[in-house]
Amino acid sequence: MRKYLYIFKSEIMTNIQYIGNVLFGFIGFFVMMFIFLNLWQAIYDDPNELIAGYNMNQTIWYVAITEVLWSIISGRKYTKKIVEDVKTGNITYNLNKPYSYIGYSIFNHLAGCFIRFLVYFILGLLLVFIFLGSFPSLDIVQILLVLLTIFLATLINTLLLTFIGLFSFIVEDSNPFYWVYSKLILVLGVMFPIEFFPPIVQTFINYSPIYVVSYGPARLFVNFNYSDFISIIIAQLIYLIISFLLCLLIYKKGVKKLNVNGG
Amino acid sequence: MTIIKADHLYKTFRIKEKEKGFKGSLKAIFKPKYKTIKAVNNISFEVEKGEIIAFIGPNGAGKSTTIKMLTGILYPSKGEVSVLDINPIKNRKKLAYQIGTVFGQKEQLWTHLTPYDNFKFFGAIYDINEKVVEKKINEFRELFELDEFINVPVRNLSLGQRIRCEIVASLIHNPKVLFLDEPTIGLDPVVKENIRTLIKRLNKEYKTTIFLTSHDVGDIEKLCKRVIIINSGKVVLDDTMENLKYHYLNKKIVEVKMKEMVNLDNEKGITILKDKGYNLKIEVDTKKRSVADAIKLLNPDNILDINISNTPLEEIISDIYKKEAKK
Repeated sequence: MRKYLYIFKSEIMTNIQYIGNVLFGFIGFFVMMFIFLNLWQAIYDDPNELIAGYNMNQTIWYVAITEVLWSIISGRKYTKKIVEDVKTGNITYNLNKPYSYIGYSIFNHLAGCFIRFLVYFILGLLLVFIFLGSFPSLDIVQILLVLLTIFLATLINTLLLTFIGLFSFIVEDSNPFYWVYSKLILVLGVMFPIEFFPPIVQTFINYSPIYVVSYGPARLFVNFNYSDFISIIIAQLIYLIISFLLCLLIYKKGVKKLNVNGG
Repeated sequence: MTIIKADHLYKTFRIKEKEKGFKGSLKAIFKPKYKTIKAVNNISFEVEKGEIIAFIGPNGAGKSTTIKMLTGILYPSKGEVSVLDINPIKNRKKLAYQIGTVFGQKEQLWTHLTPYDNFKFFGAIYDINEKVVEKKINEFRELFELDEFINVPVRNLSLGQRIRCEIVASLIHNPKVLFLDEPTIGLDPVVKENIRTLIKRLNKEYKTTIFLTSHDVGDIEKLCKRVIIINSGKVVLDDTMENLKYHYLNKKIVEVKMKEMVNLDNEKGITILKDKGYNLKIEVDTKKRSVADAIKLLNPDNILDINISNTPLEEIISDIYKKEAKK
């Protein structure tokens, strides 16, 4: 485990050199939140009115937390890197090192997520709090439990991205799959609470990764209850095991048929 | 003691083939065609402990593929490999702790970190105690003269400095075998010489077995006592450097400056390479005619200046490549 923590630490050290990029990216988040705030304020005639069970503040907090979460965990560069590693055969150069490529990649990505978490979570929530003047009613235990679901969401998303990247073993270039995955999360899991969608779409979302990666933690954040928490955590654990096994399977099969010519 | 053993090793690749043009591209989607390439075709050799061995061949000969099979990166299609009595495929991770690899064309260092942080990183991934890593860094700091740039991010280093760091990073865990795949590629002559000296010292002081591939004849000549030449996936020569030179150096180059012109046309065993009247450059095939005999033909009293040299190793090797290609 020490080596993986060192990979995590080294990636943090690399990220710190470019902390300006993360802070700069936050400006985009600021603009996005400003637009959503005005949009929902215009939609809700009365802040206490309920749309699909959400009042105005809850909707805005939902969008804010999913937006923060996606800013932290999305991994276009990460997936692209794995796709390139597979396509060019660079992945093989990790094979004769005493660590697992999957473990190496995951801890690498988690380090970037951690840095973004520090910036987006703290500054993002502070920003929305300044906008709205209130915070969802959560006690300290509930906050810790929400953070646990956020951590699991990050882990599951990292594994799913790893799987998408490694899918290049089969399709040569799996970047389009990332595009589909990220757009599904953005449209169905970030911009609106899922209760806003027709029942058939809701059923689809409840069984999709959107439920464990985006909706679950955000739902708990705006309206915490223990029965929801149990369902979300169980779904997350199932997704965690499945995505991990999928990564292992595709990696094992892929490495065996690797073709790398020349130096 | 045998350290590396390759026994009837084969590696075939299946490569997608596409017909030319747009039509070909469309056809390749629905009816992909594949071609099988034999990158390594029945290679066998053994390397003894403490040897520095040159593993050379033209581009596409199968050198890197062989190294990748020896280090557990690629699965052989057929045949057996063992390095330090470990099967690289079955026990890839176990072997990883015993070997070091440097691929001249692939960076393994973290470019945004300093060499020092990189060495600490490599120490950690090889499960080496922090104090031991620190000691190792200090040792190599001196040997590889790293002081000047040990705290500069790798992205800001020159190629020569980076290669030195790459080698150090691959040595942190004290490997018994070091695989160097074109370590001097792209380096200037001074830095090349520097790297060669370091490799030699490494072999002498740490008794590290070194398996080297290079296109640079200087690397081979100055470092290795044994050479394996491969071409088209097959071993075409496995011999000591001494034997290689002895058997293939049956031709001498004689350059003379003369008082009077001499006609050597149609003389057995003599090929005229350059004829500028009083200055002559000939090649003497010593199997057909001795050098002394050739000098007699020129008349020693007629010679103002003479230079006799061996055929450059580069030419010998390229002759071997060409002969194999003709076969």
